[in-house]
Amino acid sequence: MLAAFAGKCLERLLLLCLCLSLSGGSPADPAMTTQDASSQSQANSLTNMKNGLNEHMATTQIVNWQTQGRPSDHVTLGHEVSVPGPNLATVESRQTSNQSVSSVQYELLLPGASGTSVETTVSLDNVAEVELTCILDKQYSYLKSFQVTWERGNETISHTNKTGNSWSIKVSVSDSSKLGSYSCTLKGEKQLSGIFHFQVPKIERKEKPTISYLRDTAVMTCECPGYTAISWTWYMTNGSKQIVINESLLADRYVISKKSASITQLKILKLTKEDDGEYWCEAAFELGKSEGRLELKVLSFMVPLKPFIAVVIEVVILVALIACYEIHSTKVKCTEAKKEFDQIEHLKSEDGGLESSEVRHRRI
Amino acid sequence: MPPPVSSDLGYVPPDGGWGWAVVFGASISVGFAYTFPKAFTIYFKELQAVYSISYSQIAWVTSIMCATTYGGGPISSILVNRYGSRPVVMFGGLLCGIGMVSGAFCTSIMQLYICVGFITGLGLALNLQPSVIMIGKYFLKRRPIANGLAMAGSPVMLCTLAPLNQFLFDSFGWRGSFLILGAILLNCCVAGALFRPIGPGTASVKTPVTKEGRGALKQEVTEDAMEISSPTNLPMKNKTEEEGDRDCCEKINQYLDFSLFKHRGFLIYLIGNVLMFLGFFAPIIFLAPYAKHMGIDEYSAAFLLSILAIVDIVARPTTGIIANSKWVRPRIQYFFSFSIAFNGTCHLLCPLASSYTGLVIYSVFFGLAFGMVCAMLFETLMDLVGAVRFTSAVGLVTIAECCTILLGPPIGGFLWMEWFKISTGRDPQRSVLTILNLQEGLQPSEGTLIDTFGDYKYMFIKCGVVMVLAGTFLFIMNYYNYRMLAKEEKERKAKEEDPKTVKKENEGRSNWIKETTQDGPELEPLREEQEGPKKEVNGLIEV
Repeated sequence: MLAAFAGKCLERLLLLCLCLSLSGGSPADPAMTTQDASSQSQANSLTNMKNGLNEHMATTQIVNWQTQGRPSDHVTLGHEVSVPGPNLATVESRQTSNQSVSSVQYELLLPGASGTSVETTVSLDNVAEVELTCILDKQYSYLKSFQVTWERGNETISHTNKTGNSWSIKVSVSDSSKLGSYSCTLKGEKQLSGIFHFQVPKIERKEKPTISYLRDTAVMTCECPGYTAISWTWYMTNGSKQIVINESLLADRYVISKKSASITQLKILKLTKEDDGEYWCEAAFELGKSEGRLELKVLSFMVPLKPFIAVVIEVVILVALIACYEIHSTKVKCTEAKKEFDQIEHLKSEDGGLESSEVRHRRI
Repeated sequence: MPPPVSSDLGYVPPDGGWGWAVVFGASISVGFAYTFPKAFTIYFKELQAVYSISYSQIAWVTSIMCATTYGGGPISSILVNRYGSRPVVMFGGLLCGIGMVSGAFCTSIMQLYICVGFITGLGLALNLQPSVIMIGKYFLKRRPIANGLAMAGSPVMLCTLAPLNQFLFDSFGWRGSFLILGAILLNCCVAGALFRPIGPGTASVKTPVTKEGRGALKQEVTEDAMEISSPTNLPMKNKTEEEGDRDCCEKINQYLDFSLFKHRGFLIYLIGNVLMFLGFFAPIIFLAPYAKHMGIDEYSAAFLLSILAIVDIVARPTTGIIANSKWVRPRIQYFFSFSIAFNGTCHLLCPLASSYTGLVIYSVFFGLAFGMVCAMLFETLMDLVGAVRFTSAVGLVTIAECCTILLGPPIGGFLWMEWFKISTGRDPQRSVLTILNLQEGLQPSEGTLIDTFGDYKYMFIKCGVVMVLAGTFLFIMNYYNYRMLAKEEKERKAKEEDPKTVKKENEGRSNWIKETTQDGPELEPLREEQEGPKKEVNGLIEV
């Protein structure tokens, strides 16, 4: 039995060594540009994860974020909380997607890095039951008398004491009117507060303008990784007006494809100068709408042609210079050699025949 | 120990002068050849969107480019043996330019594969090998320094090409960038123009004008300053007469020296290098993703690679200088083995790095080790086989490396799936895809984070083990090789002392030297040969 186990281990080990040793990777020097690919793929993989989770029964996912991260499965961090250190926000999310309403939990550890208040953003796309909890950090447990209030704007919300030093409220986010900022405040010797900003997810798109050429194709992508948009709409800004890009309007030139619930793509074929400008993609969620701005620049092919010709001319000039220098230096060598030759002939005529043969006998 | 600066070239290389211009040209060529596939990855996202393809499909472009660059080695060698370095490099530069410019007008991914992948890759292959070969022709005493400087072109080019690519992409889009990159690649032609041919005749001009030298000059003058002098013409004529009598093996060996596979040093180098390449490049690719998974943000992770590149720039010429010193040069193979093992040790210690500072320290040492290995990669091969056979040797070595680099990941991925099935008893799904995607530089999804986090460490440990093994193997085998060479040298010296034997050169020298020395002083034949071999000049192998 032991032998069989050892054999299995050895087999595993051998295969592992073999396959790991053969996984070479692509060659040459430091790749400084993997970040583009990796960020893209992270988005892809997140989408996959989300889809995967939707298919399964209640899955609990506890993620502890130490640094500024990208949104992932109903978990978002505000920028203040991104400083690595002891005062971090721990966010816990539990999703049960059997029912249409998901239940999410968010926690904030007080105080934050700044010392008095800490904020975080809660992105919601679907109707959800959100439980917000403020936890007092252990080092501040010496604070004895304080008052905890939860409020949203001017409205106070009644809370429950979860434990001795944590307090929570439950918010039922059923429509966009429930979005806003919810805060918990500890008033006592010190005033500490934690703020939860409820908002629809932000749309991710290319910040820099997309550059394309006349009669070429341009592709613009908008995505909200990790969230499900009900529908996407594209707008084009003409002057100050916004025109909806309706596929039936110019079916041959505009192609809108919904790659998944969270990615949309606008493809414009046979570009013209008029297509240059601002574009908007709008995602409609259950709880509201979110917009993203993109820019398209249409250039003529003359634009890159000028630097191209400039570089080609530079190459031709350099090659010509090097060739001239070489011819010149060989000519110089020639004239020097000729001078030497004349000297030798002169010597020869002086010395006589025998010595000239010595000259020509070269040791190789 | 073998004599450190023996040469079988047939002439004394200048070790300076125009050689430094050649080193500069070589660094440009080498830089483009190694860094262009890397800097090209900036365009992937856009191209994926335009052609609606997956990451794997677009990554094939750089894979094909790398494959052709390495696999085109033998073709390079054959062409250099036939035509010399200069025309080959200029033609290579032209091919690169044409490939990228035609890539700018592509309408499908297949066209991209051919234009950017294949044609540009072939052009880069025709750039890489001849550059390295030229250094061996121009340098002997200072060859390690020249090699180190030429290889330093790679990180320098990376530091400039990556931001340049980003700038071009932001200003002109991908089509315009390809067009301009094509023009930039034409600078390889400039590098090629610097590769002035050098051979047994030309070198004699540079020596001080002795009695013998004057005679050579006289011949040159009468031959209209052609760079190949008469004594070369004479034996070349004999050679061409004999060519018909040679069998086809020798003819093939003239273009690509397969007899190298009987060369002990070459075989050691080949096996050691193939072993080393299994774990050479993976850490660079996984450094940034590993850093990101340790919780470091994207820009700091990219900064690690910048640190690596900067240390690399400094390390390569420094290694060249160290390798050139009188203590190291005779034992350069040991130094090479040591640097490979050092590289491996760095990787083995990497999993101990638990913070950003630790990773920075690792990057510094890794950059140092990487630079050391790269600087000596070709120098050691030149040292083993000699500059004459190096032309063919480099081609054969690169095609072996190419197979390792390309076939490794797919086979590795397949074997990983089998291992996973056996060890966990279930079908690998997301985890495997994650690992396979890891090979392409993608990040694993958070769900399998905990699963695969251990595997990053595995990757580093595995690379470290492979490199240490390769280093140890090379160390032991080179110790054996040095001993055998010393023994052969002793036997050779014993034979030379025999007065009956005519003075023989090293094994690498061709027969024509023997013939001319045996014939003694020539007066009439030399003069007659001036006009005759003039016709042969065109058909002669330019070196």
